[in-house]
This record gives sequence, structure tokens and C-alpha cells, in this order.
Amino acid sequence: MSHSTVPRSRAEADKPGENAEGAGGDAGARKKSRPERRKAGFAPTGKVSLRQRFRRDRTLILMTLPAFLLILLFNYIPILGNVVAFQDYDPYLSDNGFVAMLESPWIGLEQFERVLADSAFWHAVQNTFVLFFLQLVLYFPVPILLALLINSVLRPRVRAIAQAIMYLPHFFSWVLVVTVFQQIFGGAGIIAQTLADHGHQGFDLMTDPELFRYLVTVETIWKDAGWGIIVFLAALSSVSNDLYEAAAMDGAGRWRRMWHVTLPALRPVIALLLVLRVGDALTVGFEQLLLQRDAVGLDAAEVLDTYVWWNGIRNQDFSYAAAAGLIKGVVGLGLVLTANKVAHLMGEQGVYKK
Amino acid sequence: MTPNSAASAAPSRRSFLASTAVAAAVVAGGVPLLSACGGSQEGRKDGTTSGKDAAKILPTFVASNVVAPDIPAKNGSAAGFSTAIATADLKTSVPEKLGSGGKLKIMAPFWGTPPKGDNPYYKAMNEAIGVEVTWQNQDGNTYDEKLGAVLASSEIPDAVVVPGWNLMGKIPSAINAKFADLGPYLSGDKVKDYPNLAAVPTDAWQRAIFGGQLRAIPMPGSYVPNIVPFYRKDIFEAKGYELPGTPEEFLSWAKEATSAKAKVWACDDMKWTAFNIFSVLNGGEKALWWNLVDGKMINRIETEEYLEALEWTRKLYAADVVHPDAKAVQGDAANRFGSGQSLVFNGDIGYWYGKTSEQRTQKSDFEMGAFDIFGADGGDPTLWATQPSNIFTFVSKKATKQQIKDFLAIANYCAAPYGTKERMLTQYGVEGTDFERKDGLPIKTTQGVNEVNGAFDYTGDPAAFVAYPDLPEITKLMVEWQQRMGAFTKKSSFYGLTITEPTRWTNLANDFEQLEDDVVRGRKKISDVQQAVSDWKSQGGDDLRDWYKKLLDDTGSAS
Repeated sequence: MSHSTVPRSRAEADKPGENAEGAGGDAGARKKSRPERRKAGFAPTGKVSLRQRFRRDRTLILMTLPAFLLILLFNYIPILGNVVAFQDYDPYLSDNGFVAMLESPWIGLEQFERVLADSAFWHAVQNTFVLFFLQLVLYFPVPILLALLINSVLRPRVRAIAQAIMYLPHFFSWVLVVTVFQQIFGGAGIIAQTLADHGHQGFDLMTDPELFRYLVTVETIWKDAGWGIIVFLAALSSVSNDLYEAAAMDGAGRWRRMWHVTLPALRPVIALLLVLRVGDALTVGFEQLLLQRDAVGLDAAEVLDTYVWWNGIRNQDFSYAAAAGLIKGVVGLGLVLTANKVAHLMGEQGVYKK
Repeated sequence: MTPNSAASAAPSRRSFLASTAVAAAVVAGGVPLLSACGGSQEGRKDGTTSGKDAAKILPTFVASNVVAPDIPAKNGSAAGFSTAIATADLKTSVPEKLGSGGKLKIMAPFWGTPPKGDNPYYKAMNEAIGVEVTWQNQDGNTYDEKLGAVLASSEIPDAVVVPGWNLMGKIPSAINAKFADLGPYLSGDKVKDYPNLAAVPTDAWQRAIFGGQLRAIPMPGSYVPNIVPFYRKDIFEAKGYELPGTPEEFLSWAKEATSAKAKVWACDDMKWTAFNIFSVLNGGEKALWWNLVDGKMINRIETEEYLEALEWTRKLYAADVVHPDAKAVQGDAANRFGSGQSLVFNGDIGYWYGKTSEQRTQKSDFEMGAFDIFGADGGDPTLWATQPSNIFTFVSKKATKQQIKDFLAIANYCAAPYGTKERMLTQYGVEGTDFERKDGLPIKTTQGVNEVNGAFDYTGDPAAFVAYPDLPEITKLMVEWQQRMGAFTKKSSFYGLTITEPTRWTNLANDFEQLEDDVVRGRKKISDVQQAVSDWKSQGGDDLRDWYKKLLDDTGSAS
């Protein structure tokens, strides 16, 4: 908690005198109430036995049980399958995949050595990071900007329509999105055709390996940026109108209100999503890239996920793919921990706190 | 067997030594014994089976002559049947139902949108055979991805259709481990219980030997290369184009014919045809990539011809005469051809009938032809044979005896020759629903086009044939093209054999196809291919060469 007060007071300091009192006072009151609540709700639990607690929370536990089982079944049990990364796994040793796992010979870290010695793997890693940074710089801010834009629209009808239009592409499959892009930006697409009519030949954005990274980023923005604004809009809707009114009373214009009221309100959400995104850095899209892999070639389009898919599913080198996937998982965990730490240092809540 | 220490050669895979194998297949040595014990492993081995060993398990051939073909098979072509036969004159080849009324689940590739499970065609077939088949139709274009996952799971369908081009990676060893030996039901004279299967040619059966046992029902096919360069005959005639006769003529014609402004490109991706023009060894299966030349085993990727073919294809792309969507590997080449956006495309010979019958419903003057493949110098080409059977159906090892017999009942029914009731039902469906008689010719209805497509066709077939009585002239053109090209077709060293490579080398050459596509599209250079070939040699290509050489010395070729 102590971290989060620091930037807030800094933000307050920027504000003109009287305004700071109003805004700061309100925030302070909210902040105080939380630890108190926590004390009231959780302090007595230490004295209650496990059984009593269980009985008390029985309904809640029952409610979470299906979700818990699903997570156990689909997220935790499959983790055990990672042992094949340390084996020379042959699924055909037995009719039962699990028995085959028991019967496959253990070979220690050999698969990892193979992965790390494979230049194609490192190439995929490089592509993955390039795409991640591009998406971070070009994609990540877009939903925030869109949310601010939508938030500034006052007429509910216009707002609803604009939102609906922006959400819609999210529900298109990647096959459709890639096809639409091909029909517009491809060598036989609308733009190329129009240019050809005016004597310009050879326009084709879809098969240019140099532009590919920008192309996929643009596709991602078109498809998902609208969907991404939901979280930000939710955060914005929780900002009390009093703050805006108070700011306006104090003579703050549009930009000042956005800078001092709206953006600070979004900060925790932005930080949270940023941490999550960094933790997910090695996942930059799968279907989208797989669909366009042949259009630009592996040098431009192979990322870690497609690499794992190719080796695991296509070549059926399950152990090798599992090793590559495990490396990805470990690096991803390191990234999320680091990002979380950085968020804490910056005074944000991050994903979790000890 | 004793468990072996796992600490052996680097990217190692396990393999099986011949001495421990049950059946008398010949396997080259020099493969480290690296197998863990346990599980049932009999028959899991690399190599092939031919000659005397194969003769012991191959079914006896008993010819069946229901109707004489209008165009008899020649030079490895299919037999052509172009005369329609009235329903009343159809013969019966399966006088009584062989099925027991049991149930079977069959997984098969499907190109297009699969019909509902309870459609009239499936119902009629099930009824006629006496087996309740439930089809698990999977997208044919991504079938290999499904196959690997399904075979690695503990629940495999009762029967599985596997196209030969999906026999990559570990699939062959999966087949040896998961599917039943049909030998006890079909070897020698036993096949006579199933007369239609007995009429399947022996070279097709030879290919059905996997891991030393007769495991599959093969779908026989012509060995003449199946990739045909089609052209829009109607447009060629309207524009007065001459058919090009050399690679250079093709390029200059293509430049003339392409007009991006009019949304017309000369051709689609021509890589496969380029391989045929430049006499590159057949690319269908890894074993066909090899050929013995002057006592040395040579792989297609090491040849000058391979590089020349890629270079020529690259020139086409560089000249912008290839449809841009082909460059982006999006959409469907046959559709672009049908709509006139590309004037030449190459595809399986089956498109000749498929596209013509589809397009004629909208454009009565639609006409497509096929080039005769010309040689690199404009003379006669040298073509390399594809396999004499290329789609296989296997039965799960877990299937009961009765289920295997039911499956063979299906195969026997579907393998009925032209001129029988069984063939008519299998190929055209239910009269009045799936097809109608117009002037005596069977014409599929829309329902028939959608439903009578694939599925039963793969589980059994008679000797290679082309029979489209509704388009007799296309039937004739198809068979005659095969016969002309068949005269130039040679068989490489491992033609006709089904070979399981040692698993540690099975993925060695997997990236070449991608590399080819990169080179022709100008993203990589010919020198990159040469580099990849030298890497391939040092990473096991040379060892694989020795392995194939020894295999050939030990077993001899099939033909």
C-alpha cells in the first residue's frame, strides 16, 4: 500500500493548490477505509478452526469447485506431460500415452541441448521478441487512446454504436481477417488493382518479408484493439464525476482533466496489463502467423509458438517440442516476475503482492 | 530384449534390429540398438519387404472382367470407361451381404465440406454392405496434423485412412505399432473370400506391406505422374495462343498473356510441373527421392535438375506472371483457374473431370486442356513414376475379428469394378437422389455432388480406372494423357516399395519443401539450397544414402 501513495501525492503536487485538497482528500478517505475493512473481515480467522472455516465458507467453496476442477484438469494435470522433455518420448510404445511416457527412456537434458543448438530456434526467438516489442510500442497504446476517445463521446447512442463497431472485428476468425487483408493489400487486391489501372505495377504488401512484422501488427490492431478498450472503459467508468466537476470548477480544461484525473485513474490498470503482456511476451499470436507463414517464409514469420507446433505436431518430435515449450514457459515466468517487480518499484500494484 | 543405456549418439532415436524382428523383413544394419523394452513391439522396424518375403504374404491375384474398358490400360495408365451402362444392365459382384451388421468408426480425410452423417448415400451404402459405418471426416489439407495426434492417443478409430503423402515423420512407425495385420485374412488364397479385393493388382498390394506385415487396403492408381499442367483451352483459342513447347517459350508466352490490369495472370504456382519438365526425381515419398545412378545412390535434392527446376520457377515469379495469391499461398489455385484469373495451373489429374463438370453447369463452353509435359530442351521429357497405390486404409489392432471382417466387407464392396451395381452406388450414390439419368448418362444432382464424395472411395478400389460416363470425352483425354506421358515415365530404385526410414533420420529433409517455396518466391537463393544440401549430407544424409544403398543391395527393387 505504501508504494501507491507516492506517485499519487506527486500527481497532487502538480495540481493547483485548492484542487489538490479536494481530490487528495477524497482519495485519502478511500484509501484509509481499505485496511480497516481488511482488519474487520480477516483478523478473527486465526482463531477459527479449519473445520469451522470450511463450514462457514462451504457455499463459496462449492461455487468455486467446478472452476477449480477445470483448472486442475486442463491446466495442472497437463503440466505433468512436460516430463517428456527429459525423455526420448515415443507415443507409439504403448496404446496408452501415459504408459508410453513411463516406458520412454530418460535422456536428461539432451533435448534441451538440441533445442539450444538449433539456429532455427534462436531465429524464432528473435522474431518473437521483435514482434513483441513492435506490438508493445504500436499496439498496446491503441486501446488506451480509443478508450479515452470513446469516453469523451457523451451521446450514449453514438457511443454504443462506435463501441459495437470497434468490438466486432474481435469476433472474426483469423482466417477471415487474413483473407480480407489479402483481398485489399494483396498483389491481386483492391489497391493493387486500382494502382494497376493507373499504370503502377507490383503493389503487394502481403508477401514482403521486410514489412511482415508491421503487417501482422496492423492486423492485430484492426482485429483486437477495439476489444482491448473494455477493461479501460470499465476503469474509466469508476472515476467519480465529482473529480471532473471539481477539476472543471478549478478551471482545468479538457487536457488538464485528462492528464490529472483520467490518466491517473487508468494507471493501475495500464500497469497491470503491461505486466501481464510482458509476462506473455513470448506469445505473439499463433493462428495469424501460421496462416501467413508461407506467404513470407520462415525467416520472417517463424515465432516460438509456430516453431513448437511444427516440430511437435508436424514432425512429431514431441520431446523436442516439449523442451522448446518448457524453455518458453520458464523465460515467460522470469519475465512476469521481473515486470511485476518493476511495477512495484514504480509504485503500482502489479499482478500480485506478497 | 534388454533395456539399453540411453546415453548414446547425439540426436538419437531408437530403432529395431532385424534379428529381433519377427517377420523376415530385411533391415540394414548400422543402426544403434536403443530401444526400451516393454509394450508390444513386434513388427516395429525400419526397412522394407519385397521379393520372396513379400510373396509369402501378398494376396493371390484373380482378375475380374465385368466390362471391357473402352480404352485399355497402357504405359501404366488407368483403364478408361466412357460408355454409360443402364441401371438394368449392371452386374452384381457382391451377391450377398458380407457385413455382420456391426458398427465401425472410420477416420478419413475429406476435401470440401463433409455431409451430415445420416445422409441417404451413407445410409444406402451401410445398408448394402451390412455394416454401420460412422465417418469421422477430417480436413484433407491439414490431415497430417490430425493424424499424428490421433495415432499418439490411446483411442484410435476402428479404421483409419492414410494418404501416402502423409507418411512422414513417425507416422510409419505409428502404423506398425497401432494397426492390425490383415495377412491372416488376405494372404495367398484367403483373399478369394473377397473377390473384388483379389482383383486388386499385386503391385498395389506390395505397397500395403508395412513393417513386414500386410496391414492396409491400398487404393490402386496409375504410376504416371499425377500432376498435370492444365490450361484454359477456351481462352487459349479465343486469344489465339500457341501452346508453348519449351521452358523459354512458356516464359515468353506467360509475359505476353499476363495483364494485371485485366486481373489475368498466366499461371499459378508451377513448381511441381517444373520438377517434371526438368526430370527431377519424384517428390511424392522420401524413398522416391533416391535413385541408383552408376552405382551411386543419388537424392533428388543433390541433382542439377532440381536446381534448374527451381531456377525456372523463380524466373516465373520474378517476371510477375504468377498469380499474386499463389505467391502469398492464399486461396485456392483451382478456383482462380476456374474464374479465369490464371490461365495455367497444375494439379492432380482428377481436376480435369472435377473442374469441367463444375464449371459446365455455369459456363457451357468452359473447356480445359492439359499440356504434354515437354523436356527441358523442348524434346521428350523423362518423368519419374509415382507409386502404384497412394492411399491406404488400416484397421486398429484393438479391433475384434468380426470388426476386421466387417471392414473387409466394406473394402470388398467398394472395390467393385466398373459396370457393377456396387460400383455405381459407391461412385454415384442413390439413383433419383444423388444422381439422375439424362439421355442414359448418370448426372449427379447437387445433393450427390455434396454427399457422394470421398469417404467410401478410399477404403477400397479396383485396379486404376477412369470412369466418367457423363463426360466421355474427358475420360478419353485423361487416359490418353497418361498413356502419352507413361511412355516417358521411368521407375526409380524404390518404386513400388513401402519403406520405413530409421526414425532418427525421418525429419532430416522436412525443411526442403519450405526452402523450395522460399527460393522460387525470391526470398532465398539457389546457393541457400546448396548450403542446405551440404548440411543435410553432414547431418545424416550421407548415412541415409548408405542405408538406402544397403537396402537396395539386400532386397532388390520391386519392379
